Amino acid sequence: MPSLKDLKVQIKSVGSTKKITSAMKMVAASKLRRSQERAEAARPYSLRLEEMLASLASSNISGEGVVSLLKGNGKNDRYLVVPVTADRGLCGGFNSSINRDAYKYINAIENQGKKCNIITIGKKSRDFFKRIMKEKIIESFVDLGTAGAGYDTASQISNKIQNLYFDDKFDVCVFIYNKFISAITQEVSHQQLIPLDIGSQEEKNEQKDEKKEKENAIYIYEPDEQTILKDLLPKNVSIQVFKILLESNAGEQGARMAAMDNATRNAGEMIDSLTLKFNRTRQAFITKELIEIISGAESV
Amino acid sequence: MAKISFDLVSPESLIFSDQVGMVIIPGKDGDIGVLPGHTKLLSSLRPGRVMVYGEEKKLLKSYFVAGGFVEINPEKCILLAENVDDLNNLDKEAIDSEIRKLQLDESEEAKKYIIIAQAKFDALNASYYEKI
Repeated sequence: MPSLKDLKVQIKSVGSTKKITSAMKMVAASKLRRSQERAEAARPYSLRLEEMLASLASSNISGEGVVSLLKGNGKNDRYLVVPVTADRGLCGGFNSSINRDAYKYINAIENQGKKCNIITIGKKSRDFFKRIMKEKIIESFVDLGTAGAGYDTASQISNKIQNLYFDDKFDVCVFIYNKFISAITQEVSHQQLIPLDIGSQEEKNEQKDEKKEKENAIYIYEPDEQTILKDLLPKNVSIQVFKILLESNAGEQGARMAAMDNATRNAGEMIDSLTLKFNRTRQAFITKELIEIISGAESV
Repeated sequence: MAKISFDLVSPESLIFSDQVGMVIIPGKDGDIGVLPGHTKLLSSLRPGRVMVYGEEKKLLKSYFVAGGFVEINPEKCILLAENVDDLNNLDKEAIDSEIRKLQLDESEEAKKYIIIAQAKFDALNASYYEKI
């Protein structure tokens, strides 16, 4: 049986852990609100951009160079996988689920005889993939800031990806990230950035935009559709990356909040049971001492 | 007096959203003045000044944008831009030193920034109407 002192020490240490986890929960909660606001603020821009793009893409545009961001380069032999994780742990299964999923995905692609490279975003995915498939990593982006990445970082990442694409280093680019659903749920999702998945986007917009599509036909384009599209496509990649970073950040804070909430509750339960044990042990000691005194008195 | 709704959106936030009398936008092929009832237009932008005029045609706000897109229809004007600055917050000397620093850099990236910084500088110096 543990001594009273041991129990006391244990209760105290669990207590201080509880204090830390509950503080982390509060911090995550306030950060979550901020990153949710940021994600919200970014929405009008990406929404408009998608609408513009959809209306432009529906008109038949062919061409070299930038336009291949939209239509692809006709091959899909080489993949670029971009897992997006957080820089820090202590957020439940947030990071490991991304890493696991990306690992499975990469294996599946390679089993089809295709090539695969990785750009990691966030320390946790960098560390994970550095351990198991170091030779595939092209670049790692870490330290995106605690409040989520700014648009500058996003365009930096997207520039890097586009440069690689135009240097003919890969054919298809897929992001794997945690989609923010609610404060306590995130969903691992895949998003194909290059070539742009305009088909699925259009389907989404089709119902609500059917009228719009017709109206779009009479837009004046300045300078002309091609030029606008050439400006629009690279920008769209940046904005999608930005959106993914924001979602992932909001998800991270949500996941951390939930994980820390759980940890706080578990610590509370542990303290309760330890306190019970402590009191029982103490009582047992007292009883034992009483019995000793009484039996000592009887024997006299 | 008719009004047109004008939204200035950057990736990070919604910067301006209100009913206005007129907007002047730096289109790629030249400045575009947008009044209520403007025909439908989609254009990309060059670095330059966005001037927002109120109902009485008095200057409300002026921004600098480094590029972006604009979508115009008779009731609405939506401007998607990045690197939006309030023109009043820009500092000539800071821009000047930025240009000088960038000129030392030979890379393509720097050249792009020089063009933007130069446009910023020009935007500050250019004359404009307080009231139309």
